[in-house]
Order: sequence, then structure tokens, then C-alpha cells
Amino acid sequence: MWTQALNVALGGWLMAAPAVLHYSGAARTTHLILGPIVAAFAAIAVAECTRGVRRANIPLGAWLLVAPLFSGFEPRAAVTSAIVGATVIAGALLGGRTRTRFGGGWAVLWRRRMADSE
Amino acid sequence: MNVHDPDIPPGWEYNPASWGQRLPIAALALVGGAIATYLALFQYHVVDTVWEPFFGDGSRRILSSSLSTMLPISDGALGALSYMADALSALVGGRSRWRTMPWIVVIFGVLVGPLGVVSVGLVIAQPLLYNAWCTLCLASAVISIVMIGPAMDEVLASLQHLKRVAESPDKSVWRAFWGTGPESLEDAA
Repeated sequence: MWTQALNVALGGWLMAAPAVLHYSGAARTTHLILGPIVAAFAAIAVAECTRGVRRANIPLGAWLLVAPLFSGFEPRAAVTSAIVGATVIAGALLGGRTRTRFGGGWAVLWRRRMADSE
Repeated sequence: MNVHDPDIPPGWEYNPASWGQRLPIAALALVGGAIATYLALFQYHVVDTVWEPFFGDGSRRILSSSLSTMLPISDGALGALSYMADALSALVGGRSRWRTMPWIVVIFGVLVGPLGVVSVGLVIAQPLLYNAWCTLCLASAVISIVMIGPAMDEVLASLQHLKRVAESPDKSVWRAFWGTGPESLEDAA
């Protein structure tokens, strides 16, 4: 849960960072688009039942990490992007502890017979 | 919680359709609905000013933007209707509705999703298209996203129930979906 809460905060920071650190252009656009999406996926993943949604932030974190290499980010924007991107990937991979089981979860819906899993 | 409680789905440790699970979601939806209604009242000039503690005239610019008013009804009014539908579908049915009324649980799950998607889209549009933020719009977006996770456990329980019915040779998924089959009355496991 705390890893996902961290990613919510990081998504929120991306929304504020262009104004706080005064950068514009491609970096600002990238961060203002990805910030709300990262925060939303992480917020949904706070609930144990939908914890799997955390994985959607792996490609978004990777995009943040490598985006400075391809378009002209100002140095402070590039550093922000790389640090946030790497941390988002870590949080999305770690997932955090889940305490309860959900009858096999969403995976059993795609299984041929779910009775085998119980 | 009793492990033999028939309202706890097989393989689960709690009942996702209990009132303790559903009332907080309905309360969130009502708060979101109240915020959206207030924003819609501003958009339709029923109230003259809109509360904006942080971003100057941001709320006014966002709420009267072309994006907010591109549909026949404003985005605030659309949000208010969506929240009311969420609250209603969160409240309909008893504490065993995940197996007695899968149709309402599925409708509930389907209604919660698009509200969150649209909210995130609008949050992205605020600074990029209008260089402004709207505090209450952000609050509404947060509520719409926070509702999704807690709502989905009940949807999962209903889908697992329907799959169990589908795997038994003599039961109809169609009837189970509408809650008119025999498995809706007793434990299907």
C-alpha cells in the first residue's frame, strides 16, 4: 500500500513540478500528461483487490526515465523526470504486501476451470 | 465475521457487498455529486462566483472553457449525473447482492470506470489547454479515482460467481446474472 501511496505522491509532484521548478516545453507537457495518469493508476492500486493495476505504471515510469534522452529537457526537468521515473518503476514493481485473498483473484476468471484453484 | 457466513464468497475472507464496504463508496459518490452539482450551478449561472482558494481565476476559466461546454450539457452536470448513478448503484440491493443481483454489481462497476477516466482526462487538459487549475475539479477527480479500487472487489466476487455457475452443467449464467436462478438463493459453491 505504501509503495502505491508513494507513486500517487510522485504523480502529484509531476503535476506541480513545472510550475515549482520553472520549466516548460516538452518536459512540462510530458509531466502534466503522465503525472495524473501515474497518480490515478497508483491510487487504484492502493486497494488490494486492484493491486495488479500497479504494473500499468512500469511503462509510464520507463517513459519518464528515458524521455529526457529524446527531447530537449532542461537539466532540472531531466533530473526530475529520471528520478521520478526510476522511483515509479520501483514502486510499481514492488507492489507492497497484500493481507487477504479474493478467491483466487482476477486470474481465475481467465482460467479454464476456476474450481481447481480453490 | 463468521467463516460460514454464506454472504462471504468462496475463497474470500470478507463479504465485499456488506454495508461496511458499500456505504463509504456511496458517501464518496454523494460528496463528488455535491461538488459537481455546485460546479454545474456555476456553469449554468445559478451561482455567480465559484470557490477557488488557490488558483486565482483558474476555476472560472476552466469551468467556462470550450472543453467544459462542448457537449449538450456541461461537464459539471454530466459529472453530477454520473456520481448520482454511482451512488444509486452502490446502494441498490442487500448484503448478498454479489450473487443475488450480479447485474447491479456489474452496472456499478461499469459506471465507476468512465467517470474516473474522464476526470483524469480533464485534469490533464486543465494546465495544457487553459494554463489554469480548478481546485474543486481536482477534488472531484480525486474522489472519482479513489472510488474505483474499493468498488472492484464486489465486481470480482460477482464475476467469480457467474463463472462458477458457467462451469456447472445444469445452471444458466443468464438467469444467475439477473438473480432468477436457484444458485442465487443458496450458496453456489
